[in-house]
Amino acid sequence: MSKTVEMTTSAGTLRIELDDAKAPASVANFLGYVAKGHYDNTVFHRVIKGFMVQGGGFEPGMKQKPTGAAITNEANNGVKNTHYTLAMARTSAPHSATAQFFINTKDNGFLDFKSESPQGWGYAVFGRVVAGTEVVDAIENMRTGRKGGHDDVPLEDVVIQRVVVV
Amino acid sequence: MALGMPPALPTFYELVADAAWQSIEFVSDLHLSAQQPHTVAAWADYLAHSKANAIYILGDLFEVWVGDDACRPGRFEQQAADLLAQAASQRTLGFMAGNRDFLVGVAMLRACGVAAMPDPTLLSAWGQRVLLTHGDALCLSDETYQAFRHQVRSDTWRTSFLAQPLSARERLARQMRDASEANKRRQSVAAWGDVDTAAAVAWMHACGSRDMIHGHTHRPGSEVIAPGYTRHVLSDWDCDAMPHRAQVLRLTRDGFARVDLAP
Repeated sequence: MSKTVEMTTSAGTLRIELDDAKAPASVANFLGYVAKGHYDNTVFHRVIKGFMVQGGGFEPGMKQKPTGAAITNEANNGVKNTHYTLAMARTSAPHSATAQFFINTKDNGFLDFKSESPQGWGYAVFGRVVAGTEVVDAIENMRTGRKGGHDDVPLEDVVIQRVVVV
Repeated sequence: MALGMPPALPTFYELVADAAWQSIEFVSDLHLSAQQPHTVAAWADYLAHSKANAIYILGDLFEVWVGDDACRPGRFEQQAADLLAQAASQRTLGFMAGNRDFLVGVAMLRACGVAAMPDPTLLSAWGQRVLLTHGDALCLSDETYQAFRHQVRSDTWRTSFLAQPLSARERLARQMRDASEANKRRQSVAAWGDVDTAAAVAWMHACGSRDMIHGHTHRPGSEVIAPGYTRHVLSDWDCDAMPHRAQVLRLTRDGFARVDLAP
């Protein structure tokens, strides 16, 4: 049984279906942050056309929000990084994902799990956008630049205003 | 120069690929520096494992280059030059300067066994004529940048800049980069720099090519910009952000393909 959340952003509203059968830890983790209101007033801080849009970690002004413990990487669940899927962002350590996520804006097969090695772990897909893909497209096409020491930051903030379970 | 007026056509330097080659790969905009260790590692990994007969670097390989004398033991620039030399011993390597690394010298490239490529360069490979350029020379609507470019690409400016001590050059380069970033933020969306497609088509038409490859804009993709004329924009690289970004454009007898590099 999948769960659905509605994400209201300054660029429009998305509806996201979460795959808790294939990515239970990632979905539980995501819903924990949703319940705490963590994602409210965060931005899509890394937007790369033809690749992905990433958010859920920084407030407007690029101030990083504190997060909870890292979760296990579920990328070996067989789910692929296809267009409009959501995956957990992380550092180069395979099991370092906390709150940030990204939405693939094309099929990014090179991000899929290949092997249990630092280079092969890939990124865990835990949901997909089922309504509002045009909002993802709009975010993807926003003009970006360097801000707060980060590249590919939308020059006009794309704010996640509210995320609720529906 | 009036907005939108194309510049006089450049001279097209011709490069002919070896008929026996199987594939050629193009990269640009890696912006390598000591502050991007994962990207440098990804570049080293790519150079070691690529199966291409030739790799052509179309500008901004380096985040900044203030002179070949920065290649000193223990410095990042020396490490980068060593990588190029190692790769050039295994396949053909060509380097075209971008707006960040236009001070890479012919002497350094020659010492590494890397061919210096003028901007633009017309490549003939397997009967295909492909025009290669970094892309900044065609961003005509950015008049401030074009004036700056005209100034800093002159021999006078180059000689005078390189005459300064290395530390002074590094400081000046930081200032120029900060000014460039501030200028970008001030531009309106309408003035946002992209290649002037009419000028790009004029270049392609003049040299009889139907395909152009460029970087610079960091907005990768292939699109038909006029009937019969396609431009392929190269991806920038960033392996210090996750998910990482590293892609090459591969040309074979069968045409173009983009290859995303695994983490």
